[in-house]
Amino acid sequence: MSEYAIEASGLRRTYRSRTGWLRPQRREVQAVRGVDLTVGNGELFGLLGPNGAGKTTTIKLLNTLLIPTAGTARICGFDVVGQTREVRRRIGYVFGGDRGLYDRLSARDNLRYFAELYGVPGREQKRRIAELLELVRLTGRENERVESYSRGMRQRLHIARGLLHRPRVLFLDEPSIGVDPVAARELRQTVAELAATGTTVLLTTHYMAEADELCGRIAVIAGGRIQALGTPAELRHHADGRRVLEVEAYGVTDDRLAVIHALPGVREASLEVVGAAQVLAVQSDARVDVQADVLRALDGVRLGRVTARQPTLEDAYVAIVNRVDGRRAAEAVPA
Amino acid sequence: MIAVGALLHAKQLSRSPFEIATALIVPVVQATLAVYLFRAGGEPGRMLEAAVGAGLMGVWSSVLFGSGGAIQNQRWLGTLEMIMLAPRPPALVILPITLATALTGTYAMAATLLWGRLLYGIPLDFADPVAFAVAVPGCVVGLGMFGLLLASTFVLLRNANALTNTLEYPIWLVSGMLVPITVLPGWTGPIAAVLPTTWGARAVREAATGSGAVWPSLGVCLAISIGCLAAGALMMTYVERRARAAATLALA
Amino acid sequence: MTDLFRLVGTGGVIAYRALFNWTTPAMFVGTLLVGPLFQLLFFAYLGRQLGVADDRFYIVGNAVLAASLACVFGGTMAVSNERRFGTLGHVLLSPRSRTAIFLGRALPYAGNGLLIAVTTLGAAAFLLGLRIPGSALPALLLTLAVAALSCGFFGLALGALGLRFRDVWLVSNVSVALLLLLTGVNVPAAELPAGMRLAGQFLPITHAAEAARRLAAGDGLSAAAAPLVAEAAVGLAYAVLAAALLKLFEAESRRHASLDTL
Repeated sequence: MSEYAIEASGLRRTYRSRTGWLRPQRREVQAVRGVDLTVGNGELFGLLGPNGAGKTTTIKLLNTLLIPTAGTARICGFDVVGQTREVRRRIGYVFGGDRGLYDRLSARDNLRYFAELYGVPGREQKRRIAELLELVRLTGRENERVESYSRGMRQRLHIARGLLHRPRVLFLDEPSIGVDPVAARELRQTVAELAATGTTVLLTTHYMAEADELCGRIAVIAGGRIQALGTPAELRHHADGRRVLEVEAYGVTDDRLAVIHALPGVREASLEVVGAAQVLAVQSDARVDVQADVLRALDGVRLGRVTARQPTLEDAYVAIVNRVDGRRAAEAVPA
Repeated sequence: MIAVGALLHAKQLSRSPFEIATALIVPVVQATLAVYLFRAGGEPGRMLEAAVGAGLMGVWSSVLFGSGGAIQNQRWLGTLEMIMLAPRPPALVILPITLATALTGTYAMAATLLWGRLLYGIPLDFADPVAFAVAVPGCVVGLGMFGLLLASTFVLLRNANALTNTLEYPIWLVSGMLVPITVLPGWTGPIAAVLPTTWGARAVREAATGSGAVWPSLGVCLAISIGCLAAGALMMTYVERRARAAATLALA
Repeated sequence: MTDLFRLVGTGGVIAYRALFNWTTPAMFVGTLLVGPLFQLLFFAYLGRQLGVADDRFYIVGNAVLAASLACVFGGTMAVSNERRFGTLGHVLLSPRSRTAIFLGRALPYAGNGLLIAVTTLGAAAFLLGLRIPGSALPALLLTLAVAALSCGFFGLALGALGLRFRDVWLVSNVSVALLLLLTGVNVPAAELPAGMRLAGQFLPITHAAEAARRLAAGDGLSAAAAPLVAEAAVGLAYAVLAAALLKLFEAESRRHASLDTL
C-alpha cells in the first residue's frame, strides 16, 4: 500500500475552446498551472479557493475524469491516467448542487444502480444500501422518488452514493453549496465521522468556517496554483501582524475603495454586501492605526458600526487570494 | 400585437437549428416517400398532389408539436406564470405561438415543392396559382388557430406529449392529406368533416390540381378555425382561473 | 460471471426506468402502442388506394418497423438523458466495463420494441382482416425479436452520437423518418433507386421485414433464414459501433473535456 492517499506533482490542465464558426478563434485557458500536493491516508484535506480557481478541475484530474495536460497524479499509488480501473475502485466522488441523480427513481433504486456500476457484490448490496441510508438519515424516505426531495436530502443521497463501494478516498466538491445552515451542520458531522473511520477526504468549499472546523490541512488555490498550504492555524499566520477594521457603510463606491486601498499602512480592503448595508473590511499593519484615515476617506458616506478585531482564517484567505489577483493585474500590464 | 408576437416566435423557432432541420428534413423525406409510392402506384400524373400532400403533412406536424410543445416549453422555461401575469387575455399570448409554428410549417411546404421540382422534375403547374397562393396561407392561419384549441387543451393535461405523438398520423389519415377520404371506412367521414385540417387540405389540393372550387373549402376551413379560436380562447380563460384556484400553473 | 449478468440485466432495467421518458401509462399507450398502429393504417390505406402492394405487405412491414420507435428514441434517451440528469460523470467513474453498462441498456428497449411490434401486428391483422398461418407464428416472433434487438443497438449508436453532438433529437427524428423511407417497408425496395436501396441494406428492419413477409406468406423458416441472419449481422455491427463510439468519446472527453461530466 502506498504511503499517501493522493499524490500530485506538476499537474497542469489547459482547456482549448473554439468560438465562432466562420472564423474560428482558438482560446486557451489554463485552469490548473502546476499543482503539487500529497495527502496522507486518513487525512481530511481542504481545497479552498475562489470561483474559477481550478478546484473542480483539480478534482477531475485526480478522479480520472480528465487527463492532465502535464504532470502526474496517483491515488493510493495508482496512476490516474493509466490505471483508471484501479483508481476508480478506490475513490468516491460527490459534488454539490441538485443534479447528478436520476429524478424519476427512488433513493433506493438510485443506490442500487450505482452499487451495480461501482461493483458492490450482489449479496452485499442490500445491507450496504440500508446501512448508508441510515448513515445519511434517509431511512423511511428511501422509496420516494428523488424529484420530491429537498436539496439537503439530495445532497445526503449524493454522499451515500459516493460511499457505496467503501472508497478509500472521497472527493467532496462543494458539498454544502445551497444547503441550509442546519443541514450544513449535519453534513459536516457526517464528513467528520467518515474521516474518523479512516477514509481520506479531499473537500473543496467556499465556506471558511467549514474548512476551519473540519480540515486537518488546507490548500488555498487561486489562479490555478496552490498559494498557501498548511493547518488552519498556520494559514492564519498569513494575516499575522495585521489588524482588521470593519466599517458598516451605505454607498461606498469603487473609487473610494481604491483610495482606501492606497492609504499608507493598508494591506487589503474589501467590500461585502450584507443585507442593505455594505461591510468594508480593511486589513492594515498592526502597528499602524488607519482608522482615522479610513473614516476621513469615507467622508460623506453614511456609516454604521465601526469595529476593530484580530484577523480570522477568512482574513488570511482574503489576503492570500488578493495577493494573487494583484500579481495577475501586474502581469496583465503590457511590458 | 398578434402579428408582432407571431413574427417574434417564428424568429425564435427559426433560430433553433433543431426546429428548422426537423421542419425541413423530415417533410422532405416524407415527400420522397410519397413520390416513390405514387410512382410505384403508376400515377405519375399525381406527383404534384404527392408533393403538396407531404408539405401539408409537414405543416400539421409543425402545428401539432409546436402547440403541444408551446405550453410545455413555457413551463420548463418558467415563463408560463409570466405570460399569465401579462395584462392581456391569455389566448392573445398563446395564439402568436401557435401561428408561428404554422408559419414555420410553411418551410416544409416550400421545401417539399422545391425538392420535388429539383430532384424529380415535378412540374409546378398549379391549376390556379393565385388560389394556391391564397389557400396555403389561409390553411396555415386556420391550422394555427386550431393549434390554440389544442394548446389550451394541453394545458389541462399533464400528459399532453402523449397526445401529441399520437395525433400525427390519424390527422394525416382522416383529413385526407395524402390518402383520399373516400377510401377510408365510412365512420371517419363525420370526424373529417369537423376538422379544419380536412377542409384546408382540400382547398390547397383543389387549388393545385383544379379538382374543385377552392373558395368554399377554404371558407369552411377558416370558419371552423375561427370556431376553434373562440373555443380555445374560452378554454384559456377557464384554464387560467382554474389554475389560479388550484395552483397548477407551475406544475410540469 | 453472475456479476456481469446482474450489471447487464438489473442495471439495464433500472437504467430503463431512470432514463426513458415514456414510461407513464399515458405516454406508453399513446406514443408507443396507438401511434404505430395509426402509422400502419395510414400506409395500408395509402397502399390500397395506389394499388402498390397488398395489405400483407404493409401490415407485416409496418409492424416490424413499429419496433424501431421505442428502440431509436429509447436508445437515444438511454445515453443522452445522462446529460439532463447530470449523472454522466458518476456513470463514467464506474470501474466496470462500459460496454456491458451501455449494451445492457439496449435490452429493455428491445423488449419494449418487441412488445409494440407484436401488439401492432395483432391489432392491425384484426382490424384489416389479415390471416397469418399459425405455424409461422414462432418464427415470426423470433424475427420480430431480432429486429427489435437490432434496432436497440442502432438506437444506442445514435445515442452515443447524441452524447457528443448536442442536437440529439434531430438525429433520432431524422433517423425514424429515414427508416420509414429506406427500409423498403412502405415503398417496395424494387421501386427505390439503387443508392437508397443500398443504404437500406445497412439499416436495421430492412432484412427483418423481408424475413417477416416471407414467414407471413407461409414460406417457412428456411426461406426466411438468410434475411434473418443478415438482420442479426446488422444489429451486431451497430452494437460494435455503439461500443466503439462510447469508448472513443469517453477517451476524447478525458483529453479535451468535451462531455458534460458534471
